[in-house]
Amino acid sequence: MVTLRVNGQEHKLDVPSGRRLIDVLRDDLDLLGARGGCGVGVCGTCTVLVDGRAISSCIMLAEQAEGKEIATVEGLAGDGQLHPVQQAYVDQFAFQCAYCTPGFILTTVALLEDHPDPDDQTIREYLGGNLCRCGSYVNIVEAVRAAARDRAARE
Amino acid sequence: MAVGKSVPMLDAEDRVRGTVEYAANLKLPNMLVARVLRSPVPHARVLSIDASAAEAMPGVAAVLTAADFERNGLNLIYGSGRDQRVVADDRVRHIGEAVALVAAESVEIADAALLAIEVDYEELPAVFDAFDALKPDAPLLHEAYPGNILNHSKLRHGDLESAFAAADEILEETFTSPVAQQTTLEPQIAAAQWRDGHLTLWTSSQSPHTVRNAVAGVLGLEPEAVRVIVPAVGGGFGGKGNVRTQPMVAALAWKVGGRPVMLALERGEEFVTVTKHAVTITIKTGVKRDGTFTARQITLHWNAGAYASSSKHLVPAGMLRSIGPYRFPAARVDSYGVYTNIPPAAAYRGAMSSQASWAHESHVDTIAHWLGMDPLELRRKNLLQTGETFATGETIGEAHFWECLEAAAKGIGWGEPFEKEPAPNVRCGRGLGVMMKHTIATSRSECLLVLDAGGGLKLYTSTVEMGQGAHTALAQMTAEAVGLPLEAITVVGPDTALTPYDAQTASSRAAFMMGNAVQDGAAKLKAKLAGAAAPHLEHPAEALAAADGFVFVTAQPDVRLSYADVLGQSDLETLEAAGSFQTKGGLDPETGQGVATPHWHQGAGACEVEVDVETGKVTVTRYHASAFAGRVINPQFARLQNDGNVIYGMGPALMEEVVMDGGQIINANLADYLIPSIADIPRELESTSLESDSGKIHGLGEMTLPPVAPAIANAIYDATGARIRDLPITAEKVFRALNGNGEG
Repeated sequence: MVTLRVNGQEHKLDVPSGRRLIDVLRDDLDLLGARGGCGVGVCGTCTVLVDGRAISSCIMLAEQAEGKEIATVEGLAGDGQLHPVQQAYVDQFAFQCAYCTPGFILTTVALLEDHPDPDDQTIREYLGGNLCRCGSYVNIVEAVRAAARDRAARE
Repeated sequence: MAVGKSVPMLDAEDRVRGTVEYAANLKLPNMLVARVLRSPVPHARVLSIDASAAEAMPGVAAVLTAADFERNGLNLIYGSGRDQRVVADDRVRHIGEAVALVAAESVEIADAALLAIEVDYEELPAVFDAFDALKPDAPLLHEAYPGNILNHSKLRHGDLESAFAAADEILEETFTSPVAQQTTLEPQIAAAQWRDGHLTLWTSSQSPHTVRNAVAGVLGLEPEAVRVIVPAVGGGFGGKGNVRTQPMVAALAWKVGGRPVMLALERGEEFVTVTKHAVTITIKTGVKRDGTFTARQITLHWNAGAYASSSKHLVPAGMLRSIGPYRFPAARVDSYGVYTNIPPAAAYRGAMSSQASWAHESHVDTIAHWLGMDPLELRRKNLLQTGETFATGETIGEAHFWECLEAAAKGIGWGEPFEKEPAPNVRCGRGLGVMMKHTIATSRSECLLVLDAGGGLKLYTSTVEMGQGAHTALAQMTAEAVGLPLEAITVVGPDTALTPYDAQTASSRAAFMMGNAVQDGAAKLKAKLAGAAAPHLEHPAEALAAADGFVFVTAQPDVRLSYADVLGQSDLETLEAAGSFQTKGGLDPETGQGVATPHWHQGAGACEVEVDVETGKVTVTRYHASAFAGRVINPQFARLQNDGNVIYGMGPALMEEVVMDGGQIINANLADYLIPSIADIPRELESTSLESDSGKIHGLGEMTLPPVAPAIANAIYDATGARIRDLPITAEKVFRALNGNGEG
């Protein structure tokens, strides 16, 4: 039995030892924003936040996440108004097929927590672990900048 | 006007919320998991397969081998190449080829079942390189193809001998491009369910109707008995064109007879399912002292892998795309597709054009430097212009190659001094590239427009939304053509049970082909509206027109009825009109003369690089891409296509190569097979989408990709004098070229 805290909600789950966090999220909790991509933690499509840090959920076991705060893209806005980072991605046309988008958005959330006003180099370093094969990177950088501006304006 | 505006994708909110439905989200009751047993050897006779232990395992619902197909009257061979089997029968021809299929209650059970299947192989000599495969003593892959030659396409234009004789100099070079992988972040996926003689298939595919027909062929059904539904697609790039894993999952679903089955490939399996053609291109050009080209001869050897897949039409396509957008009094091209024991190759974004442009644009640069001419000026002198004749004998209707190239060159300050002094170990340089690509000569797109009494309109289309924004762009075009606000338009499909035929979403054809089908449908819908409104407006239909949501009397525009009122007063719940668009063409197989395309794709690129001469490291600092759009439907989408192409193209240019040892891929994962990340993009990346007075829409899906690799290589030459002729341009190759060891 594993107890996971996901998007502020506690789940007691009977999962076999060795089950990956991504499988628990997708198959047991029906949270489909984290997606399988490379299976080895390098493409970022399965990114979730674990205690605020962007983590590849395909290389984290469910039991390793016990006692930690897990956030998925579904937790950012629920069914309500878009989170400012999500809104910035829409406004800046920062996606195409969008398979990678939840991962990028969550990494951006983590980035702005650490660096509210990131320079280009910091953006590239933080988002270097999320791949976008459609190549929307230029607009993604603009979305990160827009989200940072929006955050500064609200503070 | 809805066209020309940057509106977000219709489902943009779902895309950022993570709620877009990809095929992997499909959770059907009692769904089984499929896994594939794959060949561990590159070429062998399959002496026996014993699946009895696997079949007897608890939790295993079905095991399928070639013998089951025969026993049950299913067809093993599928697809346009007519050489590929759903599972191998008596031969395997590449590592990773499917040998048996399992459907089970869980992945764990399915994997255990795979281990329990006993296969006896008798290994055969194997061949991996196209030139080795052409040797007289090479092992033969397919008895029907002597010499391992899958196909040989020819272009014969003008009097080659005298055209070369008219040249002051003849230059010849050879370029290579390796096997690569499309690398959609969403791997291949398909799920299927068999019910009462019908099969429903959900899959991430660019070609729903091609898949439908292939699957129907395997199961011996009429095409209408197979329903193919394509949810959101997580990237295509050619990798999801044609037919991939769908016949496997369809056969399993048929075998289990009712329970749905899903087959989701793992990343490593992607690399043995579909790849990009490796090619060797020898290109020879006759040129006059003033830079005028007189003749060109090209020989291309494409490594098709073990099965034809799309190579039957791509090898001829590669022939056409190798010539380049230049004027030649005479040209001769021989393009060979060659079978080898590696995974089958297919379209990879900018199909064949990216390999072909790599050769012809690097080669033009070599000629310019040999002549002592500005590479931009040499191209200007020889680029095709509107009304001139291409090597196929067809007239170029709209040529914008020079405008594309000029926009790209200007964008990076071609000819101007460099902005800053680089570090002592760094050299700066600039390079150019231009491309020309035909789309599919003969193809058809159909759509259905359904207007309802509430004033809403549904567009039924089999165009696949794979991130390019096609559904939104088509909605914009529909809104404009019918005369309704964008908010009134809903796009439905692809679902072959509901949406009419479309050849496929590939070759940058959707905006042009389906766009024209939409125009056709809209005109017919307006005519029907006028017909329905005639009795209510008390004028004959010919005296009426439809625009901006109203049918009105042409001579008295204030006498009018809204579309909704026309339907309401006519007691119609809906009014529908079918649209279609068909293009025709074709080339003579012996001469390559004829009609290659309804119009030409045109694009260019220019870049600035920094080369660290101590390490060979290349950094692309500035890039300006340009493409001919005809008319831009959505400027932001156009920009995303242009930028995305450049970034995608930086992969094969600088890093992508599938490395094999004895037919075994040794980097079949994203830790070892590198694709461009945000850290790789140029500091400055911009693009131009050119429009013309004709306003005829051209697709933008690939145009700015093929120039990327040659533009970078030409910039490296400009910076250092080192000419790289083998992709990818790794730091090691540059270092060796600079140090006189290898490539130079």
